[in-house]
Amino acid sequence: MTTTMMKTTARIVVPIILVVALSLLLQGHNLPGGGFIGGVLTTVALALIYVAHGLDYLESGVLDREVESGAGIFQHRTVLAYRKTFVFGLAVVAGSGVAGVSFEEPFLTQAFVIVEDVPIYHEIELTSALVFDVGVYCVVVGGLLTILSVVGGE
Amino acid sequence: MPAVSIVLAGVVGGLFALGTFLVLRRDLVRVVWGVAVLTQAANVYLISMGGVREGTHDLVPVLAAHGGAVPRTADPLVQALVLTAIVIGFGTTALALVLTYRAYEENDTMNVQEWQ
Amino acid sequence: MSPQLSVVVAAVGLPFLAAGATPLAARRLGDDTGYAGAAVALTCFALVATQLGRAGTASAAWIPSLDAAVRVTVDGWSLLFALLASGVGVVVFAYSARYMHGEDGLARYYGTLLAFMGSILGVAFAADLVLLFVFWELTSVCSFVLIGHETEDAAAGYSARMAMLVTVGGGLALLVGVLLLSTASRGAFGTATFDLAAMLADGGAMRAALRESGLFVPALALFAVAAGAKSAQVPLHFWLPNAMVAPTPVSAFLHSATMVKVGVYFVGRIRPLFLSPEWTLLFVTVGLATMTVGAVLAVASTDIKQLLAYSTASHLGLMVAGFGFGSALGAEAGVFHLLNHALFKAALFLVAGVVAHQAGTRYIHDLGGLWRGMPFTAGIAAVTGLSMAGVPPFNGFYSKEFLFEAAYGAAAAGGGLAWLLPATAVLASVFTVLYSLRFLSVFFGGRPADLGRIERPHVTLVVFPGVLAVLAGVIGIAPGLAVEAIVGRAVDATVLAPVEVHAGLPDHVTPPVVMSAVAILAGVGAYPFVGRIEDAVETATRTATPVRPNWWYDRLLDGTEATGERLGPVVHNGLLRTYATWVVAVAAGFALLGYLATGAVPLPGTGAGPWVAVDWPGVPPAMALVLAVAAAAGVAVTAASSHVAGVLTLSILGFMIAIFYILASAPDLALTQLLVETLVLLVFLLVLEELPEFYADLEVGRTVRDAALSVAVGGVAFLTVLLAAPQPAAEQTRIARYYVEQAVPAAGGTNVVNVILVDFRGFDTLGELLAVSVAAISVLVLITMRNRGETG
Repeated sequence: MTTTMMKTTARIVVPIILVVALSLLLQGHNLPGGGFIGGVLTTVALALIYVAHGLDYLESGVLDREVESGAGIFQHRTVLAYRKTFVFGLAVVAGSGVAGVSFEEPFLTQAFVIVEDVPIYHEIELTSALVFDVGVYCVVVGGLLTILSVVGGE
Repeated sequence: MPAVSIVLAGVVGGLFALGTFLVLRRDLVRVVWGVAVLTQAANVYLISMGGVREGTHDLVPVLAAHGGAVPRTADPLVQALVLTAIVIGFGTTALALVLTYRAYEENDTMNVQEWQ
Repeated sequence: MSPQLSVVVAAVGLPFLAAGATPLAARRLGDDTGYAGAAVALTCFALVATQLGRAGTASAAWIPSLDAAVRVTVDGWSLLFALLASGVGVVVFAYSARYMHGEDGLARYYGTLLAFMGSILGVAFAADLVLLFVFWELTSVCSFVLIGHETEDAAAGYSARMAMLVTVGGGLALLVGVLLLSTASRGAFGTATFDLAAMLADGGAMRAALRESGLFVPALALFAVAAGAKSAQVPLHFWLPNAMVAPTPVSAFLHSATMVKVGVYFVGRIRPLFLSPEWTLLFVTVGLATMTVGAVLAVASTDIKQLLAYSTASHLGLMVAGFGFGSALGAEAGVFHLLNHALFKAALFLVAGVVAHQAGTRYIHDLGGLWRGMPFTAGIAAVTGLSMAGVPPFNGFYSKEFLFEAAYGAAAAGGGLAWLLPATAVLASVFTVLYSLRFLSVFFGGRPADLGRIERPHVTLVVFPGVLAVLAGVIGIAPGLAVEAIVGRAVDATVLAPVEVHAGLPDHVTPPVVMSAVAILAGVGAYPFVGRIEDAVETATRTATPVRPNWWYDRLLDGTEATGERLGPVVHNGLLRTYATWVVAVAAGFALLGYLATGAVPLPGTGAGPWVAVDWPGVPPAMALVLAVAAAAGVAVTAASSHVAGVLTLSILGFMIAIFYILASAPDLALTQLLVETLVLLVFLLVLEELPEFYADLEVGRTVRDAALSVAVGGVAFLTVLLAAPQPAAEQTRIARYYVEQAVPAAGGTNVVNVILVDFRGFDTLGELLAVSVAAISVLVLITMRNRGETG
């Protein structure tokens, strides 16, 4: 599947997908979107790169790093990063829950404040739920990409 | 009795029947398909429990603005349930596939009846 | 003064914390861990002692929706039990330090012993039925570990399992009883509660509610089973003698102040609530039967630990019978004997341990005349043994005298058959005197010729039982001290109206005094014939096996195991389709049965049902089309000839479902479904590259069977949707309405689905994320660690 056409398409489409995914994540509280959808979309974007260029491209092509060969998929640096991502996501989710406890609210209580008189936007809503959603996003991206890269690595 | 319910019931029933039939096959890959079909059937079932009506803009459970009157929307709870179910469904399907692959490696056959 | 919750919680929690730290401590301290444990027990004792003089309940919220809470009750009865458990605990820990020298598994031993003591303290103070049940079962689990300490020993495993099954089984009876009480409390208080203290405080209303709902006798019977299993009452007494395989300090602890007293303690605790003719009939019968059977079997024992074990059962029967009597004297007998028995029995077990340690045998016929070798130990045995026999002026005498008075009183009031009660009590006491003398013969009887030289025991082995013997002796000389200190207040907690307790040596002849005299004289008189009595009892139990509950227990267990072995291969045959067939068939069958039973689906031919009057033109055409394509794709998947074709049609199904979500006003779902479907396709194709195609001959018979089952399952699913799906015109459900209305004010978001996910039901989402993570980790492990399995 690693054809020129595929590579070219990926080059154009992936950045757009990533921006859309990010906007879906951020607007999720008020418009269709959220951590799950944003996460899955990001996974699709990275899967596209992976199909077009192979697992090592993210390191060698984008990050311009040496790729160690010979190490098993378990030690593969990209896979390691995915694993870290979902562990980080779980930590964020749990942490946002514990944060509620520290205000003597039940576990996972969310709060929001509306900041008014902000230039251009007039008012901005800050929600602790967004932190939770970012955690969801990280778990989904990390988890699904781990599965995908391990299966693909075979 | 609304016809929508009957159509939905027919589809859910049909998918459950097909999924069950696939799960009972000897080919492990078909068993995984069966699980995938059952997942879809279960999701549609859940959505139908929220009451399906012809889709309009107003029914989408995204409110127009902060404050004001709250319109009647499609049941958001079943949608939340199904949303997570879809993502987890991917995880389980992938896990089932990898298990299939490993089972094939260990047993050298795709026939679940011949496993030792 | 009301009790201090923090102090009580500290006293109960400290042993558990210490148990957690034990593995570390045992590595560093070795044998001295016993002294550390003694320090913990002493701290608990001191903490409990600070509550002396206080009474009442204190609570902290736990599960408000069930009205279950961390409630503690402090009164004379709970303090007596807690002080005994922690006090005897000090002695047992300190004694263990020397006794368990050089044994394996010290960390497990001391850790479990600490947790055990904590559980007992929990039972003592719990005023909440849920909390009580939790601690009750914890004591069972801990005793299982302690009795089975010698993990290599098959007998220890057998006995530990037996104790576990009997006492945990009794615990289940307790659980059901607790639920019955809670149900009845709705009638008494308006709301269901687990607050035992409140139930006891308003006993009249509770009794009326129990009677009204017809739950009085069932609840009473269940509690009797629970207490009887724990306190080794006939016919559930058989686990106790077997439990003597435990290390001797454990036996001393189990038999004196803790495990077996839990049942008696509970009987005393609920006595004011349940006291009635039924109560008296049940507990007096069971108690006196246990007292007699235990004493007779103790006489027939040839092992000193076994003798003491049966004796424990007998004395527990005395306490239960005491609580059974309706008069306050009965409660006095139960409470006072709980204290007396704990003191002398703990000391006697420790003495038995010393004997076994020094002489190398516990066989009664091989022992005798040990007083020359170990005079101090013999002194301890004399004080506590005579106390066990109920000889004045030793402490066991007073409580037994209370029982005689209660039994005599009941007989005088009841007349007729009631005279059997004092007669049985005296008969049991004769045997009690007999086996006590038997035990003492180890020290004061003739010395067998082949008994070798007995070393003098180490001082730490003697001093701790000595402390208990001194306490027992002091109570014997001045029983008023004990009554003044705690027994009086403990009795008040187990009777309906406070009473004045008088304990002392009799100064004139009364019928109960005569009963005591008869028991002692008959026992001493029968002692020369003890060998013949032993043979007679031994022959009787051997020939009449079905009389022994132990035989029934073995039969039941063996039968269960054999059934399991036969059933296993049938149910678990290793074929995926067997499991799938059973699961879906049973699920569909039960669902269908449910619909038929509730009349939701009228039987065919009655001309009614949900399928009449269908409003056909109401189907949105787009939705009908999409769903039709989805169904067709499903059929195509099933009929696919190759793997690739199947996967592609599976994707068509998935994408159609995504469009269905759009039409059903669920944009979030549609987006997610589209993306996930893409990923599923990718993963399928990646894996299929590695797998071969599968061809098999079509088996017509099997295919027809599978098709029939599938159609049945599909039919039930069809019915379920028809029956359960709401009418389109129906109002939104209350839950959906709540979420839609509260999304903006409570969570500040307009996307209700997302708000539910991240805010209202955040905990669910957390669980789902864990599921995704587990799936990812499983895939990773399956692929990358394939060569680390047991096959290499």
